Amino acid sequence: MQLMPMRILIVAIWLILTAALAFVVQRTLVVSSDLRSFMPPPKTADQQLLLDQIGEGPASRLLLLEIDSKTASGERLAAISHDLAKSLASDARFVRVLNGEGDLAALDPKLLPYRFLLSPTLDDAHFDVAYLRDQLQQRIEDLASPAASLLKPFLARDPTGEILVLAQRWTPARTPRMCAGVWCNTNGDVLLLVETRAAAFDPAAQAAAIATLRESYAKLPGASDATLVVSGPGYFSVLAATTTRAEAEWLSGLGTAGFVLLLLVAYRSGMLLLLAAMPIVSGALAGVAATSLVFGPIHGITLAFGFTLLGVAQEYPIRLFSHRRAGASAQESLRGVWPLLRLAIASACIAYLAFFASGVPGLQQLATFTIVGLLVAGAATRWLLPSVMPAHFRDVADARWLERFRLWLDQLPRLRWVPWLLLAISLAMLIGAPTPLWQNDLSALTPVPPDLLKREGELRAALGAPDVRYLLVFEAPTADAVLALSEKITAQADAWVAHGSVDDVELPSRYLPSLATQLARQAKLPDRKTLGAALDEAQRDTEFEPELFMPFLDDVDAARTLAPLTPKAFAASPIGGRLSAMLAERNGRWLGIATLSGVHDAQALETIATTTSGAVRLLDLKSASESLVASYRARIGAALLVALVLLSLAVAVAFRDAARAWHVIAPMSLATLLALALLRICGVSLSLFHLVALTLAAGLGLHYALFFERRVDAVDEARRTLHATIVCVLSAVLVFGLLATSSVPVLRAIGATVALGVAFHFCLSTIMARNSQARQKELADHVEAVP
Amino acid sequence: MPAASPEAPSAEAIGLIQRLKLPAPSDTAYAETRFVHVLRKPLQLRGELHYGGAGVLGKRVDDPYRETTKIANGEVEVQREGKAARTFSLERAPELQVMLASFSALLGGNADSLAAQFAIAMTRHDAGWQLTLTPRAPEIARHLRDLVVDGRDAEVRCVTLHESDGDASVMRLSALATTSLPEVTPAAIANVCRGSAAH
Repeated sequence: MQLMPMRILIVAIWLILTAALAFVVQRTLVVSSDLRSFMPPPKTADQQLLLDQIGEGPASRLLLLEIDSKTASGERLAAISHDLAKSLASDARFVRVLNGEGDLAALDPKLLPYRFLLSPTLDDAHFDVAYLRDQLQQRIEDLASPAASLLKPFLARDPTGEILVLAQRWTPARTPRMCAGVWCNTNGDVLLLVETRAAAFDPAAQAAAIATLRESYAKLPGASDATLVVSGPGYFSVLAATTTRAEAEWLSGLGTAGFVLLLLVAYRSGMLLLLAAMPIVSGALAGVAATSLVFGPIHGITLAFGFTLLGVAQEYPIRLFSHRRAGASAQESLRGVWPLLRLAIASACIAYLAFFASGVPGLQQLATFTIVGLLVAGAATRWLLPSVMPAHFRDVADARWLERFRLWLDQLPRLRWVPWLLLAISLAMLIGAPTPLWQNDLSALTPVPPDLLKREGELRAALGAPDVRYLLVFEAPTADAVLALSEKITAQADAWVAHGSVDDVELPSRYLPSLATQLARQAKLPDRKTLGAALDEAQRDTEFEPELFMPFLDDVDAARTLAPLTPKAFAASPIGGRLSAMLAERNGRWLGIATLSGVHDAQALETIATTTSGAVRLLDLKSASESLVASYRARIGAALLVALVLLSLAVAVAFRDAARAWHVIAPMSLATLLALALLRICGVSLSLFHLVALTLAAGLGLHYALFFERRVDAVDEARRTLHATIVCVLSAVLVFGLLATSSVPVLRAIGATVALGVAFHFCLSTIMARNSQARQKELADHVEAVP
Repeated sequence: MPAASPEAPSAEAIGLIQRLKLPAPSDTAYAETRFVHVLRKPLQLRGELHYGGAGVLGKRVDDPYRETTKIANGEVEVQREGKAARTFSLERAPELQVMLASFSALLGGNADSLAAQFAIAMTRHDAGWQLTLTPRAPEIARHLRDLVVDGRDAEVRCVTLHESDGDASVMRLSALATTSLPEVTPAAIANVCRGSAAH
C-alpha cells in the first residue's frame, strides 16, 4: 500500500515534465514543408541550379489562373482580371501579376538613350545620309498608315524607330490572345499569370499564397458570377499535401481506434492502456525536441515518417505488459526480457543510423528523431513504466486460447526446406518483376489527377508560359561573359525556332547585349555635328518640320558618352527583372539561364553542348532530379546494407553465438526480401518511401525473431512471448493495413509494405526462429541422453 | 469599358448604316489627304481599299509610294516596296483594333457593333447625309476625336478621321477619288465631301 502514493507521484511528475516539454516544443517548433529537404545536398553548380530551379525557378513559381463564366460578359471578366491583378500586385506574397495589361516590352523612359546600344540596328547600319533618308521616308509612310496615331508620340525623339525594334525584340514569340484588353483563351475566359514569392515545393507557403489569392478574388465585385481556376506546380504541391494529410489523418485515426480496442481486449485494463502511451509520448516529444535543437525547423515529412517509424516503440510496453507474471513484481518480470528488448532497441537504432549516413538533411532529421525517440521510449519502458504499473493484473499466460494456439503452432511440421524454397521464389519474383526496380519520379507518389494536368498544359500553352522541364544553361566566369556566350548562340537558337525544335528561346542577350557589343555600337554613333549635317541632308527632300528631330540629336549625343549598361543597372528597369531571373552567381562563376517555350525536339537542343564544348547545356530538370534521387537512393540502399551487417554483428555479439544470431537475422532478412519480391511482382517500382517502410517492418520483424528465438523452458513464458507478439503483429497489420487502402500512392506504399512485411516477419519468425529453439532443445536432449 | 449607350442612334441612322453594307469582296479607289502637324505639307495618297468581309481589310497605296497593308485574323501585314513584309498582331494595339473593327462594321452595315463603340449622330442636307461617330471608350478617345462619314443615298463618299492631337485624315472614295481638289485645306475638302462645292 506504500506504493500507491509513490505511483501517483511518479505519474504526476511525468505528466508535469511532459507538459512542460510539450509546451516548450510547441512554442519553438518550426515545421518546414520544402520538399527539397528530402533531396541530397548539391555538390556541383549544376545540382545547385537544379535545386534552385525545381522550387524557385521562375517557371515553377508561376500559378496559372483562369477565370471563366457562362453568364458574365467579356468586359465584366476583363474588369475582374484587372481588379484581381491590382489587388494582388500590392501583396508581398506575389512577385508579379501579369494579365496582359500594360506594355511589358517597353524600355524604361529613363534608359531611352541606351536604345542605340541595346538595339541591333547599328550592328549593320550607320547613321549616314542614305540610312537616315530611308528611315525618314519610312516614318512618312508610317504617318500615312492606320497605326499613325500610335507612332506619332515617339517620332521626334526616335525617327530611326529603335523603340519599336526593342519592343518587338522583347515581346515573347507567343503571347496569349487578348480580349477586352486582357489575356484570354479561345473560349473568352480570361487568363492571368501570378508569380509567387514562395518556392513551388513549399506546400505550406504555396497554400497561404493560394488562400490569399482566393480571398482577394472573392472580394471582387462580380466574382460570384465567374469561377477562378488555379493551376501550376505550386498548386499541385498544395493539392498533394492536402489529400495526403487528409487521408493519413483519417486512416491513422481509424488505426489508433482499432489499436486502442486491441489493447483493451488483450489486457482488459483501461489503466494499462493509458500507461502504454507513456513511452511513446515521451519518445515522440524527446524526438521532436532533439531534432528541433539540432536542426532548427523540422520538416513536415520528418514528423509524419518519424511518428510512423517510432511505431516500433509501441512494442516496448506491450512486451512489458504481456510478460508480467504472477508472483513477481513488474520490475522482476521485465528483467527477464529486458536484455532482448535492449538488443532490439539498439538494433533498431543501428538500422535508422543508415538514414543518417544518407547525407540528406530530411533523412538525417528523421534518423535523429527516431533514434532519440526509441532510446527515450525504451528508457521509459525500463525505468518508468514498471514502477507505475498497477499491482493487480491478469497474467496473459492464463488464457486458454493462447495455449491452444501455442500447441497448434508447436505441432506444425518443422519444414526446414521452406525458407530455402521461399528464398528461391523471392529471387525468381525479383528477377521476373515486370516494372523498373526504382521509381525515380518522386511526383509519381503524389500524382496530380490527369485532367488537372491536362488543363495545366492547355493553360501553359495558352499563356505561352515557359517550359518547366527544360532550361538552357550558360556557364562563364562573369555575367558579361554569359551575355557574350548568349549572343554567340543566338543564330543557333533562331535556327531551332525556324526548324520547329522549340517555339521560343528566351536568351539573356535578348534583353541586354554584352559590354563589347554595346561598346561596338556606341563607337558607331556619329558626333552631333556629323549627325546633324546628315539629318539635314536626309530631311531636305521631306516635308518634316525643321528642328523636329532635336530630341533625337540629344539622345544620340547622350548615348555617345554613356557607360555601357550592366546587368545590375538594367535590373532596376521594368524589363530588367526578367534578366535578373536569368543570371545567377555560383561560387565565383556565373550561370545564365535561358527559358524555353514549347520544346518539341529536346535531342536537337542537346547538341549545343558539343558545339560549345560544354559552355552551354540543355538542362533537363526532370532527368537531372531523377538522377539525383537515384544517386542518393543508392547511398541509402548501401547504408541499409551496412546497417544490416552491423546489426547482425550486434546480435551476434549480444548472443555470443553466431548460430543463434543467424536464426534471428535470417528470418528478418528473408521476410524483407519476400515483402520486396511480392511488391515487385505486383508491378511496384520502389521509392525512398518503400525503403523507409521496409526498414520499419524489419525493425518490427527483428523483435519477433528475437523473442521467438529466446529459449524458454517454462511453457507459460512461451505463451507470454506469443501473446506479446500476436498483439504487436495484429496492431501493426491493422494500422498499416488501413494505410494500404489509401488512394494516395505514398501512403499506400508505406502501408502495404509494412503490413506485408510484418505478416511475413511473423510467419518466418514462427518457422525459423522457433526452428532454432527446437533444434536447441533437440541438442540439449541429445547431450543429456549421451552420457 | 464602354458605358451602356446613353443615347442610342436614331432609327434613321441605323437604317442608313444597314443600307451601306457592301458586298464582300469589294474594292474601292480612294484618295487620302492627311494633315499631320509634324509635316509642313499635307500627305496625299492614292490607291485602292479592299473589303473582304468581317475583319478582312486591305489598303493599297499606289502613289506617291507603293505599300500594301492587309488585315485579317487580327494580324496586320505591311508590305513596302523593296522591304521585307512586316506583320504585327492587332492585340498589341487595342486602339487600332477598335478603329479597324469599326471600319469593318461600317462597311459591313453592322449598326449594332458600331453603336456599341460610338455615339452616332446623323444629319441630312440637300446633297446627302453625314454620320458623326464619337468613340465612347476613353482609351479610344485619347487618340481619336471622331469619325465623320459623308455620303449620298447608299454611297459613302468620304471618311474623315479627326485625331485628338488635331491631325486629320480625309479619305475620298470611288467617284470622289479621282476628282482634283480646288485647295488642300480641311475646309475645302469638307466641302467636296458634302458635295456642296463645285460638284
